[in-house]
This record gives sequence, C-alpha cells and structure tokens, in this order.
Amino acid sequence: MAHMLEERGIATTVLALALPQVEKTRPPRAVMTPFMLGRPLGEPNDAAFQRRVLLQALNLLERTDGPIILAHFEDDNPSWFDRLDWVPAVSLPTPGSYESAAAWEAALRAEMALVLPVWERFKTRFNRTTVGLAGQPPQDWPAFATSFLDGALPTVPLHDTPALALRFLADDLKALYGEAVQADGAPPSARQIDWWFWRQTVAGQLLIALRSAAMVSENNALKTVGGRFFVPVPFLPV
Amino acid sequence: MARLDDIPEPTRTAVRDIPCPAFDTTPFVSGPALSERRVAIVSSAALIQRGDKPFDFGSGEYRAVPGGWDNADILMSHVSTNFDRAGFQRDINVAYPIDRLRELAAEGVIGSVAETHFTVMGSTDPAAMLASADGIAAALKADNVNAAVLCPV
Repeated sequence: MAHMLEERGIATTVLALALPQVEKTRPPRAVMTPFMLGRPLGEPNDAAFQRRVLLQALNLLERTDGPIILAHFEDDNPSWFDRLDWVPAVSLPTPGSYESAAAWEAALRAEMALVLPVWERFKTRFNRTTVGLAGQPPQDWPAFATSFLDGALPTVPLHDTPALALRFLADDLKALYGEAVQADGAPPSARQIDWWFWRQTVAGQLLIALRSAAMVSENNALKTVGGRFFVPVPFLPV
Repeated sequence: MARLDDIPEPTRTAVRDIPCPAFDTTPFVSGPALSERRVAIVSSAALIQRGDKPFDFGSGEYRAVPGGWDNADILMSHVSTNFDRAGFQRDINVAYPIDRLRELAAEGVIGSVAETHFTVMGSTDPAAMLASADGIAAALKADNVNAAVLCPV
C-alpha cells in the first residue's frame, strides 16, 4: 500500500510489525517495531510511548536520503512482559465438561452472569468497548452459539451466512471476556489474558467445542471459519 | 526481534510467506517540513463504525473513517487468532493513533490532521487493492493531505 500511494503522489511512512514483509516490499519509509501483531503503537493508554513511536515514523518524512529509509524502534512495550502480580478482574469457577448443547448453554449463561457486571466496569473505566461485531446482544449468545453443537445453522440480519454470524459472535465473546478480565489495574500481557480465557473459562472451552463441531460440519463455510478463526493454534486440543 | 517469531507454526510460515509484490523501483514523494504536513492514517484493521457490516475476509475494498466518528464506536473488523486484541480493547490509539495525531497538530509538530482517514482489510492480496489505492489517493489529495502514516495490524 505504501508503494501504491506513493506512486499516486502521497508521501507515506509505515509503522511496520512484520519484518519479512518490509524486507520484501521495501516501502519508501518505515519504522520496524518489536510489538505484537494488532498493536502498531505498542502500549495502550501510554501516550508518551505511542508518541515516541509515531514521531519516529513521522520524522522520516523530513529525510531526503531515500527512497527506502528503514529505522528501528528498539524498545519493547511495557505490557509485553507478564505482570507477575496480575489478578484477573473476574473470578470464575473451573469449567466442567458438558455433554449436551443444553448443558453448554446453561454453563455459559451462568458464567456470563458473573462476567457481564465486570464488563460493565471495564466500559465505564475505559469509556469504550470493542464488542459489537456479532449483531446480537450478549444475552442472546448462549442459545445462538450452542445451537450449532446440535447442527443448527441460524444467522442474524447483520451477517450473510450462519458461518459469519458464528465467527463474529466468537470474536465478540473473546472481546467481552478480554475486556472484563482487564477491568481493574494495569494491563496484563496478552499471553496472560489468553491463558485465562482458553484454560479457565466455559466460553473458551465452548469455542474449542464449536471448532470441533464446525470441522465436521457439511457446511463448508462453517468448516473454514471454525478451523481458522475460533481458536489460536497454541490452545487447540491435542 | 519481530513478534512474528512468536506466532506458532504453521501460521508463522503462512504469514511470512504471504505473497508480497516485488518492486523494481521505489517511488519517493518529497514534501514540506513536518510542521507543514497534513497527515492522514491508513489502517489495515478494517475499521468500522458500530452497526456497520464487517469487511469480508480478503476484500480489496477501502472505507473512509471520518474524523468525526466517536472513538468509542470504532470497531476492528479484521480480527485474527494471531492478533493481540487486548491493547485495542483498552485504547484505540494502539492501532489507530488519532488522539496522538491531534495532539501533535495542536502543538504544531505537524501541520494538521486530515478530515478523513482510510482503512482496508489486512492480509489481502495487494493486486486486489489497486482500485482502492486510486480511491484513497484521490480522496487524500482532495483533502490536501501530503503525508499518510500507514498502521498495519
């Protein structure tokens, strides 16, 4: 995109996370950072840190020794490291094992009753939520999601297919829990949130079960979406 | 060290080997001092306003992100199991640094912030995005923008 915009007369500078792509595409100007995919400015709620990153990229616009000016931002962002004193903002019972869609639905509903008030606290504290892709309110998620375990293929008006409806519900479920667990205190590392979600919540276990159901579905879109978008590789069942 | 290294296989290899266009030459547009630049953000996060339809996976389309949108209503519709979401959940600026740009403009470090920013879907074949590049560049020029900061996620 940097090449394409520059060819059309717009000067560009890139905050680059994926080093191999930068080496292959060789954009006119880029700062290469060590941050995780998903956060090109590095650290949330740290204006000074973000400003350093952004200014390094913007300052490349003043240089005349291009094309191809590559700079490195060397510092890790503070929450890259696990926060050893971190305590999840919501405490949940250990998930059990559930044999039927109805049992999964009841378990998720009970868990969400504990999570939702803490999520409200997150929204108040940060004045935002990234939940909103599912196209249906959280109280409707347990019945909708678990119906796929019985082979149902429901959808919602916002999405064109059952596969997309379930995909974005899965994203919203992860987002709601991820926000709730961060409601208090300083930011934990992304790894800490992942381990909590995928090892200690009914919601995480349900997404793993939904992935298994999707993978044997005759609905090819659901199979693809379930395989790619529900569960990160490190948390797949062995 | 790029955090790409921390993505588990086989996804890491898939990400590393995403087809990237090879360019024989690199264009290089010069311009005025930073304090005279009008700056826009171009994000690959497939940003949408709450209630909008998410981008289709692999879509080459682009969409505008008007400066008037409330930060609290901007969602990321490019979501992947390889991305961190926790940072964006706490602070939109970690992927879409709109408040940082406004501060730099208020201090006179940059000239001004564009009226409208633009977003595309990441992990998309660049060949599918040529028309989008035309559209984005034309819109930026119409807004007198002379610098774009690209924020791929």
